[in-house]
Amino acid sequence: MSSQVDFGLGLRPDHYEEIVANPGRVTWFEVLSENYMVPGGRPLQWLDTLRRDYPMAMHGVSLSIGSIDPLDRGYLDALKALTERIEPLWVSDHLCFTGLRGINMHDLLPLPYTEEALDHVAERVMRVQDHLGRRLVLENVSSYVTYAASELAEWDFIAGLAERADCEILLDVNNVYVSAFNHEFDAYAFLRAMPTKRVRQFHLAGHLHKGTHIIDTHDHPIIPDVWDLYAEAVRLFPDVPTMIERDANIPPYVDLLAELDTARDIALRVARGRAPKAAE
Amino acid sequence: MSVGGPATNAGSLGDLQRAFQDYLLSGSDRLTASVHDTRKADRTTLLEVYRDGYALRLIEVLANDYPGVMAMAGPADFDYMARSYIAARPSRHPSVRWFGKDLADFLASTPPFDRSPAVAEMARFEWTLGDAFDSPDATPVGADALTALPSVAWETLSFTTLPSLHLLAFDFDVPRAWQRRDEQEPGNLAADRAEAPTSWVIWRPQLTSNFRSLAADEATMLAALMQECPFPELCECLAPSVGESGAVARAASLLRSWVEEGMIGSFRH
Ligand SMILES: [Fe+2]
Repeated sequence: MSSQVDFGLGLRPDHYEEIVANPGRVTWFEVLSENYMVPGGRPLQWLDTLRRDYPMAMHGVSLSIGSIDPLDRGYLDALKALTERIEPLWVSDHLCFTGLRGINMHDLLPLPYTEEALDHVAERVMRVQDHLGRRLVLENVSSYVTYAASELAEWDFIAGLAERADCEILLDVNNVYVSAFNHEFDAYAFLRAMPTKRVRQFHLAGHLHKGTHIIDTHDHPIIPDVWDLYAEAVRLFPDVPTMIERDANIPPYVDLLAELDTARDIALRVARGRAPKAAE
Repeated sequence: MSVGGPATNAGSLGDLQRAFQDYLLSGSDRLTASVHDTRKADRTTLLEVYRDGYALRLIEVLANDYPGVMAMAGPADFDYMARSYIAARPSRHPSVRWFGKDLADFLASTPPFDRSPAVAEMARFEWTLGDAFDSPDATPVGADALTALPSVAWETLSFTTLPSLHLLAFDFDVPRAWQRRDEQEPGNLAADRAEAPTSWVIWRPQLTSNFRSLAADEATMLAALMQECPFPELCECLAPSVGESGAVARAASLLRSWVEEGMIGSFRH
């Protein structure tokens, strides 16, 4: 990959000191926006310290872009203030709703894939983009239930939204795998349906397989089937930055660096396969 | 157009979201008719992924914020307490950072938890420590700035403390119990009742939070200082304990120690 921002990790407080002790092993970090919406102290001190050495993308969990509640003005202002502090590569959140009636469920709840929901979300994405003065990047979530009301495939909903609202896509390869298993669709068809130019970032993560369904837990290493799916994603969408999410059962930083090397190897292998062969 | 825009209440999107939230908050089964079984799993099992996740995520947030309460209550009672709190005070903030802020009030005012006032005090102590941890940054006033003042300035001199500083009073010795939170099996930590209610100060001079107990007259003067009472009044409030003659010396000595410990944020005269 030629771009300077290629393989990154999620910035986690457990790793602050190890990151300083192992400089330059990633080219960027993804930070959880809400963790730094605090007045002061160590969290912002670490953020500013590490930001001097690494570009960062902001990843939020509480935009609740699909909710029927009004957009939270205070939250958007805090988000915008944080963009001014971090000057992020891009700002992402999830294609979902996280609550309504003023109550935050702190979970990424799935939307029905309907024209009504598409209209609703597209209009809100455009207002958020106007407010932030930048494009929003939205992530496909893992989901466990299928709504009777859904009229569209998830991939058509996402692709349609990206075109309609002129936003970008954070393609979580593990989430595609998890939802494909849970909802019995073809994960590869999902990838092929993504509009190439709009895929801004990849997520990779581990999950918990319950036999009848898979739960997106971010507490295990990435499984081989997800690596295979990632290889297809890299083939379809070259030069898209990749990062690994780990949110529980967090291993040492160097272990995640090793997992990230697997992503590098796959991307390199795909790139070599793509390069014109030397004359024999 | 305002960025917030109107709430949308009409349509099936709203119905579905309300049903989903009601399911998570109260177990309402209105959502069940709106979701499918899969060939592998029935919809009840799949919906429970969300319901279990909702509770477990917030219980974990509380366990991280309140290790001392966990050490006193033990995992089973903590789980019951946390689930009661989650049901009573659902989150109204975009960040889980603030989800636990009402726990001490909840425990102090809700049966059966109100029968364990030491646990509610532990919750208040831990929340205040957390508050100091990421409170606004400020540089404490140095001693030099005060010694340079002309004596006439002291007649009207008043102070503010650092934004991280909190003054608390406890009937139980929860700060010392908190220091032992990792030493016993969870559930066995106890906080003794103090001989008399004791004041404690929590503050963060640089990046590391600090706390200590205060003598009774020290707490009285610090409370007055936080009200921005001028220095002569701070001396007066010490008179009942040390007498008129000793008040100025005691006030000056306390003030000097607070400055040295980095508690004072600003002064004016
Ligand atoms: Fe993700």
